[in-house]
Amino acid sequence: MVNDINSLIRFQDVNFSYPNGTIALKEINLKISRGEKIAIMGQNGAGKTTLIRMLNGLLRPTSGRVLIEGIDIINSTIGSLSKKVGIIFQNPMHQLFSNTVAEEIKFSLKSLDLGKEEVEEKTNTILREYGFEKYADHSPMNLSGGESKKLANASIMCRDPDVLVFDEPTLGQDANEIKIFLDMLEKEGRKKKTIIMVTHNVEFAFEHVPRVVLMTNGRILADGPTTRLLTNETLVHRSSLILPQVFRLKLGLKTLGLEVPDNVINQADMVKFLSNYFETESKR
Amino acid sequence: MSLQFLNAFRFLKKNTLIHNLDPRAKLLFAIIYTLNALMFNEILPLMILFISLIPLILLGKLFKSWFKSLKGMSFLFIIIILLNTLFISLNFAIAMTLRISIMLSAFSVFFLTVDPNDLALSLISMKVPYEFAFSFSLAFRFVPTIAIEAQNIMDAQQSRGYEMQQKGIINQVKNLFPLLVPLIISSIKRAFNVAEALESRAFGSEKKRTYYFTIKYTAKDWLFTLYLLALISILIIIRINMPIWLYWSIPV
Repeated sequence: MVNDINSLIRFQDVNFSYPNGTIALKEINLKISRGEKIAIMGQNGAGKTTLIRMLNGLLRPTSGRVLIEGIDIINSTIGSLSKKVGIIFQNPMHQLFSNTVAEEIKFSLKSLDLGKEEVEEKTNTILREYGFEKYADHSPMNLSGGESKKLANASIMCRDPDVLVFDEPTLGQDANEIKIFLDMLEKEGRKKKTIIMVTHNVEFAFEHVPRVVLMTNGRILADGPTTRLLTNETLVHRSSLILPQVFRLKLGLKTLGLEVPDNVINQADMVKFLSNYFETESKR
Repeated sequence: MSLQFLNAFRFLKKNTLIHNLDPRAKLLFAIIYTLNALMFNEILPLMILFISLIPLILLGKLFKSWFKSLKGMSFLFIIIILLNTLFISLNFAIAMTLRISIMLSAFSVFFLTVDPNDLALSLISMKVPYEFAFSFSLAFRFVPTIAIEAQNIMDAQQSRGYEMQQKGIINQVKNLFPLLVPLIISSIKRAFNVAEALESRAFGSEKKRTYYFTIKYTAKDWLFTLYLLALISILIIIRINMPIWLYWSIPV
């Protein structure tokens, strides 16, 4: 095989335009390895959603190639790709339709060619894992916003895909729900799952995602470690994002004449630095 | 596929003679052509009526979308031709197909060239209460939104292993549930949201309201109306004393 075994997803010179003529992706080249965590960021309309829709074949490139495990998606069906790549879309209400929470999970398992007992067993495991046991016979329509998002996650997770793709996972979630999502990410990360997420949440990406791809106008603007890209003022500005809080504070302090060292990159560092600073100031 | 059919009825702003006509004149046009089509059962007069529509379609630069709307209805045409040929006659089948095409074309010209906002205004000027006129134009405005939503639902379901193609009619119907249930639920939710948004802006608090944009019946609208009235009068006269040659039919 030409590709190294780790390169799970590859975009080669991918262009895409919609039937109405809108050009959504231009010359996309991207390599994602197994087990990576990666955030795709950029302003609305930059092509992020179009990009992730190619991962399970919902959209096919107008030119160029998208390879999943070395196989061109042109040669696969959505059905077979969706077993490898699970996309969790923004709005959970777009997929919940069954009478009960348990049936919702079973629907996702239906296309996996499992035996009846296996489906039953897997459903119960997932319900337990996600804390839906007591809701198993409830209608998914009566769940709260956060719970229904969790159920949408569970309905993809039960299919055990290698690649998990989240579209705006933190949107409209409270702190507690984000915590639950993070725990799940960590657990899936330990299973060597590849995790891709589209998000506008700079703080979240900066703290929890090691690699980021910045997009603008259908092109990849930059691709690299989050700590470097999201602290670069020009890049952040060009992708309609804002710097992480700590870095904005750094800039503010700089105008006051207080130079914060480069190794201060998170809240804990900042607190430590400032307490040291005040201590030495008061001694003076 | 269904999405393309919806596109065929979607208004696009263009600057042509037909687009600039008053919406009421165009509504009259759609109604008169429908009535005309209903007056005749014979191929020749219907054919002439159909042909008389083509200059209007060309003037409005609508040929492509009009053709698409006809193509979208081809399923219906096939059923009409099959059933009528089987039970009545080939001539009647052709006449009925022409009749449906005339009505469809007339209304597709109407919807393609009338801005939904103007539509509400023209309904109001015809003494339709504005609450009804507004909901009517709102319904139009949401057609493309719902089409996009349907696509998103399809994508979300396919991502969890939903297969679009199924064998057997029962399975095909059952297969619609994962698409229709979320679509209906989100549409109802949206309807509630729109209602709340309207109420928070005091919609319906006054009996009368004024409008920022107004529509006006101008000379060219009167001219067009005159043409339509002349057309229907002449056709009524022809209908009463129909010359023999207009009864011509395909010898079978």
